[in-house]
Amino acid sequence: MSDEHVSMNLFATRLAKVLPAAAFGALFFGFWEWAVRFFDLKPYFLTAPSAIWQQFVGNFSLIRGAATVSGTNALIGLVAGIVLGVAMSFVLSRFGFLNQLITPLAVALNAVPIFVLVAVLNNMYSITSEIPRRIMVALVVYFIVLVNVARGLTEVSPTHVELMRSYAASDVAILRKVRIPNALPFLFVSLKIAAPAAVITAFVSEYFGGSQNGLGSRISSNIANSKNAVAWAYVLAACLLGLLFYAVSVVLEGFNRKGEAR
Amino acid sequence: MTSLVVRAAKRTAMFVAALALVVAIWEAYKAVGPADGGTLLGVRVLPRTSDYAMPHVWDMFSRYGRPEVRGSDRTVFAAVLAGAWYSLRLSVAGFVMGSVVGVALAVLMARFKLVQRGVLPYLVVSQTVPLIALAPLVVSWGGKLEVGPFVWPRWLSASVLGAFLAFFPIAVGTLRGLAAATATSVELMQSYAASWTTTLFKLRFPTAVPYMVPAFRLGASASVIGVVVAEISTGLKGGIGRLIIEYAREATGDPAKVYTAIFGAAALGLTMAGAVVAVDAFVMRNRPRASVS
Amino acid sequence: MTAVSIRSTSKVFNAGKPNQVEALRDVSLEVRGGEFVSLIGPSGCGKSTLLRLIANLLEPTAGEVIVNDKPAARARLDQDYGMAFQQAGLFEWRTVQKNIELPLELKGWNKAERAVRAKEMLHLVQLPEFADHHPWQLSGGMQQRIAIARALAAHPPLLLMDEPFGALDEMTREYMQGELLRICAATGTTVVFVTHSIPEAVYLSSRVVVMSPRPGRITKTVEVSLGADRNEDTRNRTAFFEAITAVREGLRGLHAAHVGRGSDER
Repeated sequence: MSDEHVSMNLFATRLAKVLPAAAFGALFFGFWEWAVRFFDLKPYFLTAPSAIWQQFVGNFSLIRGAATVSGTNALIGLVAGIVLGVAMSFVLSRFGFLNQLITPLAVALNAVPIFVLVAVLNNMYSITSEIPRRIMVALVVYFIVLVNVARGLTEVSPTHVELMRSYAASDVAILRKVRIPNALPFLFVSLKIAAPAAVITAFVSEYFGGSQNGLGSRISSNIANSKNAVAWAYVLAACLLGLLFYAVSVVLEGFNRKGEAR
Repeated sequence: MTSLVVRAAKRTAMFVAALALVVAIWEAYKAVGPADGGTLLGVRVLPRTSDYAMPHVWDMFSRYGRPEVRGSDRTVFAAVLAGAWYSLRLSVAGFVMGSVVGVALAVLMARFKLVQRGVLPYLVVSQTVPLIALAPLVVSWGGKLEVGPFVWPRWLSASVLGAFLAFFPIAVGTLRGLAAATATSVELMQSYAASWTTTLFKLRFPTAVPYMVPAFRLGASASVIGVVVAEISTGLKGGIGRLIIEYAREATGDPAKVYTAIFGAAALGLTMAGAVVAVDAFVMRNRPRASVS
Repeated sequence: MTAVSIRSTSKVFNAGKPNQVEALRDVSLEVRGGEFVSLIGPSGCGKSTLLRLIANLLEPTAGEVIVNDKPAARARLDQDYGMAFQQAGLFEWRTVQKNIELPLELKGWNKAERAVRAKEMLHLVQLPEFADHHPWQLSGGMQQRIAIARALAAHPPLLLMDEPFGALDEMTREYMQGELLRICAATGTTVVFVTHSIPEAVYLSSRVVVMSPRPGRITKTVEVSLGADRNEDTRNRTAFFEAITAVREGLRGLHAAHVGRGSDER
């Protein structure tokens, strides 16, 4: 087969992979737009994508401001949660007893809607502070990162540990050369879960009162005022923010995997 | 059998010990922390230690026994229990709906590769997108929906949001499981000239169970989150979410009360999780020990 | 009576694409009823592909495959053969007995009939006390015996086996070979058996078919004159070693030719 032929085939295969998803997306939004117009649906019932886009572009500076508030809360909480989570996981891997103590708690907390703690966090700080939301995000991220990275540090191949011991390597050396490299993929996987979770928690925290500058509160207030198209525009911003956080975490994971076998 | 009981007892003991540790840290901070809150590395993160900002743990528990509102007959315990029970039923409804849709979608995607290639990327992306942002919208829709004699009950919006959050992890996990049958097993079923549906029920679903178990766990907690957020963002009466908001508003005069509702929400989450875990253990009873998560 | 008839069959994978593979070229083979025929050859010689053509898990690109006097597709629909693979492939969520009952369920047998036949098969493979165990509680050799019991549960006239003992240790392997012969003698089943192992092929078969490297062709057939009654002593007989040597020469000749040619061919 000629080289041209081969690259054409490759292109066609790649296209075939992307086409169904793109087609589905186009069909979905196309149908949505058409349904609103054809059935003459009122905005309070269903807003057309075109109207949403209009509002998004029209209110862009306001939307960007709100997104910055929510995004900052999410980012600060995310970073804090990662730092604390990683630090604590080192402690847990060193002291097995603590691990046994903390892990069941973390697993149980996974099932619980802990974002309701914002209600009390708001009482612990001043009414206009963004701290409660950041603490909430940090807490959620902390547990995700903790559980995953602790696993990565402790669940190493026994063969690798035996090998290091045969080299009379110290515990610190084993940590550096075996446990940490083993834990890195776990860290990045937990990041892919934690980043969207941070954004979601940042929004949900805004439903509990306090300052109303973020995306979450904007969405509810616009709904309450029956300004649905504007609300949807904020929803779009929220989706984009979440995607952004996720995309960054995927890119970071990509950097980590550069050295791995394909 | 006894070793199983011993292990479970040990884990519960550890859990209780961990809780005790948290309580100890709380009270210790109250005793020695800065009264007006403080800064850590220049950021004002340390909370105030007054009884208003941080009630004593025993105050939180004693609050359960006293009446909800002055002059009312109902104790806080009864109120929180009623609220948690209401939200639990909504969460279960949401979980069931989400499971049906999620599994059906997974089967559809397993059967038709085209559907899978078209829809799966959106499913994956949707897990990163804050669908929670849609909560107020879903609830307002439901409020205005009337199809013939059927009037949309307000609680259904909360369940639908729960279902909405639950069906994504369930669909993704089930799809993974349906694809997990070994090539040998598939060839075996082909050698029996078994139809796709027969292979689905006799091979693919049983193989998928270990993958569906963690997916259902995620779905259960997602359903709870969806329901509670729906309740909070719309003030749905009767549920634990609304209770938390109400009690939080009364915190100036009654700081311990809001904690009672928070514990109620925690109990709600744990009950859902516990039920799913129990069903999981039953469903996996004849399988070898290894888990797939 | 001819159990399997393969006539001038070829199989090409991914025809016309850059990753095209000619797995089999113009293969013809007749297997008589009651025979035990082994297919042996280097990796990639197409023996597993040939087996799957008989099983109608693949369609030939050219030629025809007749099983039990029917086209292979019909034979599969009629369930005229049982198949065993290198992994036992037992369903871990079913008990041993329920695993054996699987083909019978698919044929629509009722519960009582299935149980009777399953118990009969368990006795045949000498594992009756494990009916209610689960596969993961059994050793590799025992799992394969259950797989064989399953393959024969519907009493098919033909048994197709793709290196079923490949994952077992040597001693278990020799034991299983003896068991297989005993079972096949008791049921009178025709067997087509794919293997990598020369002693195994010779011990089990009345005929060993040697296949060439890709594209697979039948290059030599070795008649094994060890008679029907085989046991541990058979492995010490001169005829055994002679047959092994014949097969080895057949393989080696091909191998040398292939290696010699290797650098010229693509």
